[in-house]
Amino acid sequence: MTSLRDRVDSLLASLARAPELGLISILVALTVYAAAALPAFRTTGNADQILSNSTIIAILALAETLVLLTRQIDLSVGAELGLCAYLVGSALGHVGGGPPVAILMALGLGAVLGLGNALLVDLVRMPAIIATLATLSIYGGLQVVVTHGSQLYAYQLPHWLTTLYATKWGPLPAFACVALVLVVVLTAGVQMTRWGRDLYAMGSNPEAAGVTGLPVRRRTYEAFVACGALSGFAGLLYAAQYGNVDATAGNGIELTAIAAAVIGGVSLFGGSGTPAGAALGALLLIEIENILAIEKISIFAQELLQGLAIVASVAVYALVRRYSQRLGARRRRLQAAGPLSGAAVVEPAEAHP
Amino acid sequence: MSLVRHALRWEVGLTVLGLTLFAYMSLASSDFFTSFTLQSLALNATVIGFLALGVAPVIVSGDIDISIAAMLGLCTIVMAEVWQAGVNIWVAALVAVVLGCVLGLANGIFVVLLELPSLAITLGSMGAYTGIAFLILGGSAITSFPSSLITLGSGLAGNAVPWSTLVLLAVAAVLAFLLHRTTFGRAVFAIGANKQASRFSGLAVVRTKLLVFVISGFMSGVAAIFYAGYFNTAQGGLGAEDLLPAITVVILGGVSAYGGTGTIPGVVLALFVLGVLQTGLGVLGFSGQEQTIAVGLTLILALAVSAAARAVRARFAASAARAPA
Repeated sequence: MTSLRDRVDSLLASLARAPELGLISILVALTVYAAAALPAFRTTGNADQILSNSTIIAILALAETLVLLTRQIDLSVGAELGLCAYLVGSALGHVGGGPPVAILMALGLGAVLGLGNALLVDLVRMPAIIATLATLSIYGGLQVVVTHGSQLYAYQLPHWLTTLYATKWGPLPAFACVALVLVVVLTAGVQMTRWGRDLYAMGSNPEAAGVTGLPVRRRTYEAFVACGALSGFAGLLYAAQYGNVDATAGNGIELTAIAAAVIGGVSLFGGSGTPAGAALGALLLIEIENILAIEKISIFAQELLQGLAIVASVAVYALVRRYSQRLGARRRRLQAAGPLSGAAVVEPAEAHP
Repeated sequence: MSLVRHALRWEVGLTVLGLTLFAYMSLASSDFFTSFTLQSLALNATVIGFLALGVAPVIVSGDIDISIAAMLGLCTIVMAEVWQAGVNIWVAALVAVVLGCVLGLANGIFVVLLELPSLAITLGSMGAYTGIAFLILGGSAITSFPSSLITLGSGLAGNAVPWSTLVLLAVAAVLAFLLHRTTFGRAVFAIGANKQASRFSGLAVVRTKLLVFVISGFMSGVAAIFYAGYFNTAQGGLGAEDLLPAITVVILGGVSAYGGTGTIPGVVLALFVLGVLQTGLGVLGFSGQEQTIAVGLTLILALAVSAAARAVRARFAASAARAPA
């Protein structure tokens, strides 16, 4: 017979193991509520819009997750996105090129920018938050320098790119399909390969990871380069979605991406969280934004809500994790004491005066 | 002891760098070494200086506060609103400073009492504070502050030195005393160096860390007074571009991003170096974005030099240790 307490405990424990479950229930509840209350929310067009609009944030959140898992951070993803959006967009405008060329250019340029971050972190031994703060200003400055105050217009971009946002592949918008593929690929890469386990191990305990002979330096490079490449790819989609790319493209978007990852259960202390969670976090943020827009609530309230969502989710994850850790410790003590003392289990370590 | 030596060396290096840049800029352009240019250099550095001084103790204690610019924005807007409601401007300024302390305390409560990561919490409060500021003011702006505030924010004492610079240096001196000469300051450094050990040795970790976050909010409130007095405007989203320069100044000033080391004089020197660099590049005709790139490169260069120096010293120490055997 299980008591209510036990049931709550096991619920919290599974929540701590898979925070996506909690996130999915919030998403479902929010969607059901909005669909019931708001006729404008119910349309297929609106659903497509939510999915498509979350794609860029979701990809940046995925990129950020790879770095966050290893207990690093990348504040330059927004600047990488902006720089790649402009440079790849203009290159395509000047010389043309199909999707494979465009994707390779975006991934390659992003990877080079990510390599810059990795070099600063590994060779110069700068803490990642400072190194990427510096590259944020450098890449962001370069973006302004290369744009010369001008901007890229939709008519300068190839036709296949500018129509991608409105394209549907089967029942889903093309953007959502791209995001979905990336979530699946990264989930497999992070959770089912040795490479991914190395990232988690580095984030959980960097020292132990080094001592046990994991290729820590190499994985650091790989995480930052992959993060940059994904950000560059997000830049290509940015050009596709907005058509116009100027010097401010991607400004501040890194904070939304980190917020999405954090809300999705990726720990800033490294070692925990999943790509799927980060993508769901992005979806939740965009869905809230969409509902606020339909309700005609000031866009200024969105920033406030997003901030509160970060604080609340960080607090809930930490408290649930702590509670389940305490629970695990108690259970281990009980098991250790069980066979010896039979039914009468006394909590140990309660010292007598 | 070696920590002290390291810090001293860092500040000597900064001074040499600052003076070299200063001399170079003066030679390179006749427009640089003029009272007007130097006064705008000082005036431009004030708000960033207050923010940097405020966040420095947080970073020394091993945490971070990226909501400083958002607190600056909210405090400025509340101050402007209170003043527009008919309250005396100096009372409104006091409200801004008290509000700053409250906002900082809110950060501290989440980070310290609930033991949550400061980066995530202040990322969240940054959004929350900015959002509240926008909600209060909407898309409009408040301008035309009273002349007494403008005098404080952009006036010159004795037609030579800006009042704001004098206040900044005085506040820096008080903060330096607090951080380097009191038990509170020693506790901040100890917590930054080793939180666990500080707790076990009986330091008031919770109280000290809360106070550090309150100081950060307080300084954002003070910065708000000078922001309004210098720019003579308050609107949503103001000051957001000051966050990165402020943290850059702290790190360039020799405060370790991992906590436990750094000095207030170092932060002031770094403010001078960056001011000379940016103003000088501006006088030489470089755009604002090129100045930003230069700031980023300076930060990387400074840290690269210090990393190289550490590596060389470590090698010397190792060979010295081997030699007697």
